[in-house]
Amino acid sequence: MEATRALERETEIFNQRVREWKEAGGKVVGYSCVATPVELIEAAGLLPYRIKALGNAETELADGEMSLFNCSFCRACLQLGLDGTYDFLDGLIETNGCDHLRAMFENWQHQRRFDCFFYLKVPHFFRDDSLAYFEENLSLLKELLENKFSVEVTDDALEEAIRGWEEVREGWRRLSALRELDEPKVTGSEALSLEVTGSSMRSEDFAALLARYMDEKAGSVGVRPTARLMLCGPATDEVEWLEEIERLGAVVVADALCFGSRAFAQAMPKDGPPLRRLAEGYLSSIFCPRMYLEYPKRREFILETARRARVNGAIYLYNKFCDLHGVDSVLVRRDLESAGIPVLVLEKEYSARADLGRVKTRVQAFMERIGGGA
Amino acid sequence: MMEKGFVMREGENGFERALAILEMIYKLPDNLSEEDVEAARNFVYPELQNTVIGLLELPADRELELFFFRLLMNIFREARNAQAEGKKLVFIPFTFPPEIFYAFDNIFPLCTEIVGGLITNICYGQGERFWDFAMGLGLPDSLCSANTIGTMPLFMGPGIRPDAIVYNSAGSCNPNAKIHAFASDYLGIPQFILEKPVDESRRGRELYYNYLKRFIQELEEWSGSELREERLREVMERSYQAVDLYHEYWELKKARPCPVPNIFSMTLLVLRSQCWGRQEAVDVMQRMVDISKERLRRGEYTAPEELARVYITYIYWLFDFAGYFTWMEKEGISILGDILAIHYFPEKDPSSRESMLRALADIAFDYPMTRQMGAESISLRWLDDIAYAAQDLGADACIFGGVHACKHTLGTAAFFRREMMKRLGLPTLMIYGDVFDKRHTPMEMFQEEVKTFVEQVVARKRAQSRRRKAPAPGASAPERG
Repeated sequence: MEATRALERETEIFNQRVREWKEAGGKVVGYSCVATPVELIEAAGLLPYRIKALGNAETELADGEMSLFNCSFCRACLQLGLDGTYDFLDGLIETNGCDHLRAMFENWQHQRRFDCFFYLKVPHFFRDDSLAYFEENLSLLKELLENKFSVEVTDDALEEAIRGWEEVREGWRRLSALRELDEPKVTGSEALSLEVTGSSMRSEDFAALLARYMDEKAGSVGVRPTARLMLCGPATDEVEWLEEIERLGAVVVADALCFGSRAFAQAMPKDGPPLRRLAEGYLSSIFCPRMYLEYPKRREFILETARRARVNGAIYLYNKFCDLHGVDSVLVRRDLESAGIPVLVLEKEYSARADLGRVKTRVQAFMERIGGGA
Repeated sequence: MMEKGFVMREGENGFERALAILEMIYKLPDNLSEEDVEAARNFVYPELQNTVIGLLELPADRELELFFFRLLMNIFREARNAQAEGKKLVFIPFTFPPEIFYAFDNIFPLCTEIVGGLITNICYGQGERFWDFAMGLGLPDSLCSANTIGTMPLFMGPGIRPDAIVYNSAGSCNPNAKIHAFASDYLGIPQFILEKPVDESRRGRELYYNYLKRFIQELEEWSGSELREERLREVMERSYQAVDLYHEYWELKKARPCPVPNIFSMTLLVLRSQCWGRQEAVDVMQRMVDISKERLRRGEYTAPEELARVYITYIYWLFDFAGYFTWMEKEGISILGDILAIHYFPEKDPSSRESMLRALADIAFDYPMTRQMGAESISLRWLDDIAYAAQDLGADACIFGGVHACKHTLGTAAFFRREMMKRLGLPTLMIYGDVFDKRHTPMEMFQEEVKTFVEQVVARKRAQSRRRKAPAPGASAPERG
C-alpha cells in the first residue's frame, strides 16, 4: 500500500504546526486522557495537545522521580516534561486516569510548576450523581481557562467545538469502515499515525486531515491480509509497533486502543446545555478499564468491534506494570475466546527495541495458530 | 520435606485451614512457659516457627497475642457460620471501616487482606502459593500482592465463599479495586463500590457522603435489612471506645524508650481492619494500653538500649513476624507505626442516624491509604501525614517498604524522601520487597539493610545531635530558669 501525501508520521513533539500556532500568538494546553473534553479547550480558543512520547525511549530524568515499577509510557512522557521538550505548553490538565498517570502529573507539576494547572477529576462510574459531579468539574475547568487566558467560553463557541469534534468522530468512523473492508484500504498503523498527528490539532484541521486522507485512499486498491487482527490495550503512540506487526502480513483492521477507536467513542447527546452534553457524552463512553461496574459495556464494545471487522484474532498489548489492563486482559481473553476469537496477551515496555523482536516472534506464532501465518 | 504441622493440601481452603490452627491456639493455656513456647516451635514446620516466635517469644507479646488470637478466632467462627445463620458474608478490603457492616443485622464482613495475612503466617507455602495461583489465572505479576493474595483463597476454594464483595479503592488504588472487581466477575457475585473522589474540598466530601448513603441503600436492598439507627449507635459507641484507647496508645508510643512492643503494630492493623465496632477491638486495645503502661512504669525495654525509632512510611512486611517485629525489637529498633496506623476520627456525635453516617463518611474518607492514595495529591498528602506522625512520635528515621510494585508510593517516593529530609532532617531507607511474598527480598537481606542503616546513618545522626547539644569545651552551661 502506498503512503499518501496526507499522512506524514509525526516525529516531533513541538511540531511545525504547533510552532506556527504559537508564533501566531496561540496558546497550547496539554492533556493526556480521553476523558478530557477537548471541545472545552478548543472553545476557549486554545490548542488541545494530547501528551505523547512519540517513541522516546529515554527516561533517565523521569526514573529519578518515578520507579521502574511505573509505566514506561508515563515515564517517557515525564522525561519530555522534565527535559524541557514540553515547555511550549501554556497549561496542563491532569486526570485521574490511572495510578501511573497521577504520579507522572504530580512529579511534573512539582518540578515545572505550571501556572495554569487543572486536575480534572473523572468519576469511575457513570451514574446520575457522578455525572452531576463531572459536569461541575467541567464548569471549574471552563472557569479556570477563562481566567488564565482572559477569554470567555460562550455557549456558541462550545456548540461550534462540539460540532467540530463530532465531525472528527464521523471521519474516524468512515476511516474505520475503510479498515474493515475485506481488502482494507487503510491499515492499523496508518490509522494510529493519523490519530497521533490529529491529537495535537484543532478539530477543523483534524477533520480536514482525515477527509484528505480518505479522498486519496478512495480509489486505491486494498490489501489482502493473511490475518485480520484487532488490537486492544492502553494509550500507545508507537506506530512502529503496528507497522512491524503488519509487515508480518496481518492487518490490524480494528482496535480498542486509547490512541485509537476508544478516543472517538463518545456518544454526544443531541439536546441540552453544552456542558451537560459534554459531561454525559464523555463520562458515559469511557471504554477504559479505569471504569468500574462497566466491564459488560466494555466487553460489548470490544466484541461488537471485533465482529464488525470480522477479525481472525485479537492481540491485547499493554505496557508492563499496567494493573488496569493487566487484569482486564484476563477477562477480555476469556470472553473473546468464548466467542470464538483467539487472543494473544502480551506485555511490553514502551518503545523498547529489545521487546520488539520478542513480540514479533509471539505474533508470528499466534498468526500460525489462527491460520494466518506467512 | 517431611510434612509436619499444618500443611495445606490441594483442594483445601486456606481459610478453613487457618481456622483449624486458630482453634488449636484457642486451646493453649493462658500462662505459657518458655518451655511451652519452645515445644510449640519445635512442633511446627520451619516457616511457621517464625510465627510462633514472633507472637509468643517475648513475654509482653505472649500475653497480648494469645488473648487477641482467641478473640479473633471467635470472629472467624462467626464468619464461617454467618451464611448458615442467614447472614450475608461480604468480603471487604483493608481500606474500609468494617464498622459500617457490623451496623447491619444480617451482614458479616471479612477482610480479605486479614484472611490473606493469616494464611500467610500459619499455612505451609505462605503467601507464595496464593500468588502463584493468581499468576496461573493469567493475572499480571505486578499487582499488589496484599489484595491478590488476600482474595485468592476465595478463588481456590472449596470453603468459604462470600455473597458479595465490596471495595472503596476506585479512585485511590487501581490494583486493589481491579482485583476486587475481578473477584466479583470470576465468582459471579455482586460487587458494591464506594468511590473516593480525589477531591478534598467540601464538594468532594459532600459527594462522598452522598455516595456512602447510596452505598448503604444498595446494601440494604440487597441484604433485605435496614441499617437500624439503634444498632448503628451501639457500633459507633464501641468504635469510639476503641478510638479513645487508640489515642492513648499513640501517646504511649512517644515515650523513650518506646514501651509499646513492636508486634502491637500488627495487632492494631488487624483490629482496625476486621474488629473495629465490636467489643473485641475495645478489649484488645485496652489490654495493649495496659501492657504498654505497665512497661512504661517499670522502664521495660527489650533491648539494652533504644538505638533507633523508625517510622515505616508505607506498610510492614507481614510474612515473618519474628524476623520483622521481634528482630527489630531485640536490636533496639522501635517501630512507631506505618501508613495504616494513622487514623483520623471526627468528634463523636451519636445524636442521629445522619450524624453517625456523616462521621462514618469522614472516617472512610480519611481511612489510611484511602486518605493518602485517594488524595488530590498523593505525594503531598502522604508526605504531610507521615511527617506529622514521625515528628509527633519522635522518629529518628524512616523506612520505606511494603508491596513490591506499589505504583503510587514508588511513583512519588523520590519526592517523598527528598522532602522528608528537607523538612525534618529524617533519612529514609528504601527497601524493595513485599508484604506477603518473601521471594522478592528475603528477611535476612531486610535485616542486613536495616542494621547497616541504623549503624551507619541513624547512630551517626544521633551522635551528631548529641555533640551539637553538648557545650563546647570551656563554654559555660546555659543558665536555667
